Amino acid sequence: MARVYQVPAHAFRWLALGVVLAVLPHLVSAPLWLQASAVVLVGWRILIQRGRLRMPGMLLRTAMLFALTGATLWSYGTVLGPAAGVALLVAAFCLKLLEMFRLRDAYVVVVLAYFVLATVFLLYRNALVTIYVLVVLGVITAALIGINHPEAGVKPRTHLRVAGGLMLQATPLMLVLFLLVPRIEPLWNLPSDKREARTGMSDSMSPGEVSRLAQSNELAFRVEFEGEPPPMRERYWRGLTYSWFDGRRWSQASPRNIDERALVYRPGERPPEWYVRLRESRQGQNYTYRVLLEPTQQPWMYALTVPFVEARQHMMARDFRLLSNNEIRDLMIYEVTSWTNMPLDQPLPDWERRLNLSLPSEGNARSSALARQWYAEANSDAEFANRILAHFRNQPFYYTLEPPLLGEQRVDGFLFNTRRGFCEHYAQTMAFLLRAAGIPARIVAGYQGGEVNTLGSHLLIRQSDAHVWVEAWLDQDGWVQMDPTAAVAPQRIEVGLREALEQQGEGDVFGAFDELTNNALMKQLGLLTDYYEFLWQKWVVGYEQEQQGHLLSGLFGEITPVRLAIIMGVAAGTVLMLMFLLMLWGNRRAPLDWWQQEYWAMQALLLRSGVQADIQQGPRGMLAAVRQRSPAAVSAFEQWCQLYETLVYAQPGLLAEGGGRRKRMRQLRRQVARSLGR
Amino acid sequence: MRAQVQAWYGSWLRRRIPAARSVTLDQRRVFIFPTRYGFFYLTICVLLFLGGINYENNLIMGFSFMLTSLFITSIMSTFRNLAGVTLVAGQYRAGFAGAHGAVEVRLVGGRRYHRSLWLRWRDSKQQAPREVSLEPQAEDSVWLDVLLPRRGWVDPGRLQITTRYPLGLLRAWSYVDLDHACLAWPTPVASQSAPASGGEEEQGERQHDHGSEDFEGVREYQPGDSLRAVDWKKLARGQGMNTKMFNDPVEGRLWLEWDRLQGLDPEARLQRLCWWVEHLNGANQPYGIALPGESLSPATGSLHHKQALDMLALYGQPRREVN
Repeated sequence: MARVYQVPAHAFRWLALGVVLAVLPHLVSAPLWLQASAVVLVGWRILIQRGRLRMPGMLLRTAMLFALTGATLWSYGTVLGPAAGVALLVAAFCLKLLEMFRLRDAYVVVVLAYFVLATVFLLYRNALVTIYVLVVLGVITAALIGINHPEAGVKPRTHLRVAGGLMLQATPLMLVLFLLVPRIEPLWNLPSDKREARTGMSDSMSPGEVSRLAQSNELAFRVEFEGEPPPMRERYWRGLTYSWFDGRRWSQASPRNIDERALVYRPGERPPEWYVRLRESRQGQNYTYRVLLEPTQQPWMYALTVPFVEARQHMMARDFRLLSNNEIRDLMIYEVTSWTNMPLDQPLPDWERRLNLSLPSEGNARSSALARQWYAEANSDAEFANRILAHFRNQPFYYTLEPPLLGEQRVDGFLFNTRRGFCEHYAQTMAFLLRAAGIPARIVAGYQGGEVNTLGSHLLIRQSDAHVWVEAWLDQDGWVQMDPTAAVAPQRIEVGLREALEQQGEGDVFGAFDELTNNALMKQLGLLTDYYEFLWQKWVVGYEQEQQGHLLSGLFGEITPVRLAIIMGVAAGTVLMLMFLLMLWGNRRAPLDWWQQEYWAMQALLLRSGVQADIQQGPRGMLAAVRQRSPAAVSAFEQWCQLYETLVYAQPGLLAEGGGRRKRMRQLRRQVARSLGR
Repeated sequence: MRAQVQAWYGSWLRRRIPAARSVTLDQRRVFIFPTRYGFFYLTICVLLFLGGINYENNLIMGFSFMLTSLFITSIMSTFRNLAGVTLVAGQYRAGFAGAHGAVEVRLVGGRRYHRSLWLRWRDSKQQAPREVSLEPQAEDSVWLDVLLPRRGWVDPGRLQITTRYPLGLLRAWSYVDLDHACLAWPTPVASQSAPASGGEEEQGERQHDHGSEDFEGVREYQPGDSLRAVDWKKLARGQGMNTKMFNDPVEGRLWLEWDRLQGLDPEARLQRLCWWVEHLNGANQPYGIALPGESLSPATGSLHHKQALDMLALYGQPRREVN
């Protein structure tokens, strides 16, 4: 075997550190075998570098590669998809460390380290991790620099300094590219992972589930309004609707026999009839805002009723919901314009009426009877609905996060016995009563309210703002929103869940959490970190077509492809030009040393005196020419040459000092000048 | 066709970077192009960019932009790592034709560092390049071997100076002609009879009988030493066989003469003269050289030896300023 390439010791230090730091974030939640192999392989490589161990043979390396691939298959069931792919990449990368026989392998390791480092962003996307990644990028670059400086005795620190300098120089161009390179839609579908469901809404609901969700303080989404946001009591963030009730659960439902394409509108496609109608009847107040939705692993998007979107990857459903084309696995930013006061009086087809009236054939008989009785006594649908709300308001109903368990007859049990419940109890009971009376009704699920971050003036909507309410179809008005919770606990809608519960003496549900947030300093700090994360999400993680368009059109007016190309060209050109100028400037001729000046002075003297001297020949090359012109000058000129040669060729160390030589040479030059008659 | 292109390239290079004893590399003289690793690296940049688009991951895209910018920045820094270096022709070490000589290249740094510069002759591919690094304003010198194919001044061709520092993604290089030349002595070729006049037969008796003041010392006898120089007294005393050494040139000693090698072409004559110079030098015998139009008086010693060899090497060569 040819001589094994040795990474220089000063470079290896950075290489080992860079590899460890690049792999580390992947190992945090990796299977145990991957953690163990990474430790063993990196440790092995370090011992090789120290001369304790040898590189494993071809056979052993192949066996290890098969073992690692097998382990990946065993853990993930596939080697495709980001999670399995990255696990295999990390494993193979660590194995590659044991296969560094040539300079080429060292380069492959470094470039792979960059790649592994980049995939950290598949796992984490926050600002801190980004800083970490940049630091590691510097370390790996230092290793690359060390590999290209294969001398003994170089200080490792030098490499890191050079790497830092390079990264600083690279940053402006990187920012230009980041801001200006057009964001295009995915070119093809890549395999992706099924991730664990997160806390949040689900596609069905039974009493008790929303109240559990409401105890989580996790962030659901942020909203940034153009202009003033609507008041708290109007902030109903619609997510999904439950139209089907089986006696226990409320679930999403769409009728069979109906073409699904008629139920949703996709921007860019031919709109269905209901959408055209809805669009034409827009009137009144509207809000434009941007939602930064945390990943939910679900396609539902949250917005104020009635939301309109323009982006192609979004859809609007007939029941005024927004949907994404794909499940939302990463932070998603979308812009919506909502018309909050428009009538929703589109015709109700038979299938929709039937769906929104359907009830199980049996159960909750007392409630059904009550509904029929009240309906008979009421003059209109609206009066009937108001009677239900008044009942909740006037009778001893309680709003609580810890409702008692209900028996088999859930609606009856709540309405006549326990009378203690969270929003889902009230919503489900009201929807049931409406349906039992023959009024189409459904439950709408989403969030209500939201806290304003006073630093950034954006809204924070947490899981604790989860809420369900009711929508009923009244003959004159179409769909009308009704919130029975507002009848029981108006504070919930006016000021928020916590205050509402505190007034009822139930605030200690948030006990531990409160101790932190009640501290004014901690609260301020919380707002600050939230604000920075908001900016980070908006400008970096979520910097997509829309923001890019906004930014560019804000700066340069309307963006056409031609104009964008020109802007890109000019920006990149400017940066490159600056770099080029810097290059020339840094490289401009160093000022001449005195001996160089002396040389050029002599040269110039000879030329002026008509001595045919060839500049390229060095001083002695001119001697013959001097002799020809004036023999008297030869002696002084020869002495001058001698001094010059001693200085420049024989003992360059003298150059700096100069000393008497400088004076002597000048004298000799004057003598030559006199002899030449100048 | 190929030869034509090469000739055209050579003349272009001569015009662009003319021969000079001292050359400072600048943008006219430095060429730059990505290495294979550079292309590999760019491929990874493109892959990350595509990954960033397809996973709609802005940070991965930003990472690929950072790598791309690093590449573009390193164009500049690789260039600057080479540009600004001043190369000055240094001295040479002569050698026999057919063997190696060496020439010195002095490197003077500019106001910034120049690291990991690799030097070799452009035309000798198998020669291992020499590495040198310069800190700001520092100087260093590198000796490069020169293959000497024939007697006289040998032009080693253009010097190739290359660097890949800092990232190895780009290679900056220049071909510099420092007007270097290395002197090649004739290849020694043995001949039976000495092309000499004078020597022991004619005048040899005179000197060491007198116990000359130029007597330098004795050394162990070596085959080829003249028997007349043997210190017989020491041998008689049982102190071994020694040769008396004399330093000073002595008028009328052995003359190696061009004219005594009739019937040979000039190079062959020089080769034989050279062999005798080596032989006589080894034997520590005084010798002189007589070439048409020039001569060197008989003497011994290393300086004389070098003068003799140089004289043979330079015979009939164009005059040239010594390095």
